[in-house]
Amino acid sequence: MRRVAPVPPSLPTRGLALSVDALLLATFLLMGEFLVRTLAFPVEEGALRTAQEILERLHYALLGGAGLLLAVLWHAAGRLLGGTPGLSFAGALPQSESEVPWDHTLRGWFTLLFVELTFFTGWLVTEVNLGTFFTNFDKAAGVIRGLLHPSGAVLFEGLILLIQTLFLAFMATAFAIPPAFLLAFAAARNLTRESPAAKLVYTALRTAMNLTRAVEPLVWALIFISWVGIGPFAGVLALWVHSVASLVKLYSEQIESIDRGPMDAIKATGAGTLQVLRYGVVPQVIPPFLSFTIYRWDINVRMSTIIGFVGGGGIGYILKPRVDLGEWGEVGTLVLLIAVAVWVMDLVSARIRERIV
Amino acid sequence: MSAPVAVSVEKLSKVWPDGIRALDDVSLEVREGEFLAVLGLSGSGKSTLLRCINRLIDPTEGKITIFGRDVTSAEGAGLRALRREAGMIFQQFNLVKRHSVRDNVLSGALGRTGTLRSLFLLFSDADRAEAQACLDRVGMGDRGDSRADALSGGQQQRVAIARALMQRPKLILADEPVASLDPALRNSVMRHVEALNREEGITVICSLHDLDLMKRYATRAVALREGKLVHEGKPEDFDLATLKSIYGQEAEFGFGEAS
Repeated sequence: MRRVAPVPPSLPTRGLALSVDALLLATFLLMGEFLVRTLAFPVEEGALRTAQEILERLHYALLGGAGLLLAVLWHAAGRLLGGTPGLSFAGALPQSESEVPWDHTLRGWFTLLFVELTFFTGWLVTEVNLGTFFTNFDKAAGVIRGLLHPSGAVLFEGLILLIQTLFLAFMATAFAIPPAFLLAFAAARNLTRESPAAKLVYTALRTAMNLTRAVEPLVWALIFISWVGIGPFAGVLALWVHSVASLVKLYSEQIESIDRGPMDAIKATGAGTLQVLRYGVVPQVIPPFLSFTIYRWDINVRMSTIIGFVGGGGIGYILKPRVDLGEWGEVGTLVLLIAVAVWVMDLVSARIRERIV
Repeated sequence: MSAPVAVSVEKLSKVWPDGIRALDDVSLEVREGEFLAVLGLSGSGKSTLLRCINRLIDPTEGKITIFGRDVTSAEGAGLRALRREAGMIFQQFNLVKRHSVRDNVLSGALGRTGTLRSLFLLFSDADRAEAQACLDRVGMGDRGDSRADALSGGQQQRVAIARALMQRPKLILADEPVASLDPALRNSVMRHVEALNREEGITVICSLHDLDLMKRYATRAVALREGKLVHEGKPEDFDLATLKSIYGQEAEFGFGEAS
């Protein structure tokens, strides 16, 4: 085998590195200005007001230009200053440089400073207030006392709805298995390399699933509540959509990590595509698929509590009004029921998954 | 050398997308009934050559025919029919680990089994009897119900030979069939490949890096170096000078001067 000499980074790679650097440097400048302004000229309404002012008056083109200029300068002076974070991100750092300890590079120190800047900016943006955290405990004491003294009044109703929650999560998972199983093959990169059409299906499917997963189950619940009405079935559908998208991702990643050998062997017998999948792929992925599916049921039980808050059935449905009314004793009972169920599910599913794989 | 041509490879080249030239203008002919050994260092292109013959890999240039039919231009059902003619044996055995030994052998019949039946592992009684006969033949007749991954390496490779035999092949492609096995077990596997060659007249193309095995089993050998065919001849023609030209001057050979 003859290997061609290592080539310098291609134009797209350089472009990616430069864009990342420009973005980092511009963000760096922006956070720097925010910190200086907040600390030097604090305003009555707080740090968010300062941030708003900066963003309103900001000349985005100017900031972007400054970031880009700095990035270009750093790239141009690469021999003197070393590789940039963007080059590292794009995987285009020369071998000789990636072996240097981080604290001997400008890149390393810049990254450290950037993370620190992010932390202090975050402190202000999220209005961290340690004073109230340590002095106002007594205001929460009532709630905590209530939670620690569960009331028996909702125990029976809660138990029944807890069982409904477990079934709700189970049905969402069960309905998700068939579509996820079928779609996973088309969403696995190693099975879709051969033809351009298959590649297109792969990309489209992966994108669609990522978008579906990006939408919170809570939002799906609102959609299905207006579709099929308030109740557990809306919850099943909401969790079903989310489960399909998640399982397709988990299943297809599992397919991508299979041993190619058996597939080749089955192909070599003259088997057709479906036969190759059935014999060369499916036996390898069944145990991890089962494991992921049980794990998914576990997650769905946790999620269904929140789904219930907005009307998707299950135990969350009766929890919400008691929170609103401040019936902390009854809330305590329901929370305890959920905690026990989640804990048991967790134990059981971990145990089963251990046995399978 | 009057037997008809089983496999003909003409000016075969394979260039990977990253620019590596795995095969470079390789031409060779294999006659029916031959046991051809393919020698060479790892990375010399042996495996690529074998995988081009049944199109597990698409060659970049050149033409391959098996039993007079063009493999390189075959597609779909035609390609699958050609693949059935060539049983393949792999270094890593490549059995379906979670299936029983019997189901692994039966998968050799997939090429002639309907898709729907095969999805549910429904093979005919005749196929099952044939699978048992194939297992008996490699001395694994009593292990049909074991799970494949419960067997030792040597046993797995014998099951893989039974699977290849189940295809009713006219050609066996064996890619380093004993390289993953304990040296003491190598002959126990090679003897089964030899038996198929001698008794059934199945043509064998077998990549090897062990010269003793080559001398013992092959009727003819070719050598690859950096994707090029550098030597071809009878096993006894491979003397020390030839071997050094294949493996490099630093190479040492346990048996000293080749006899």
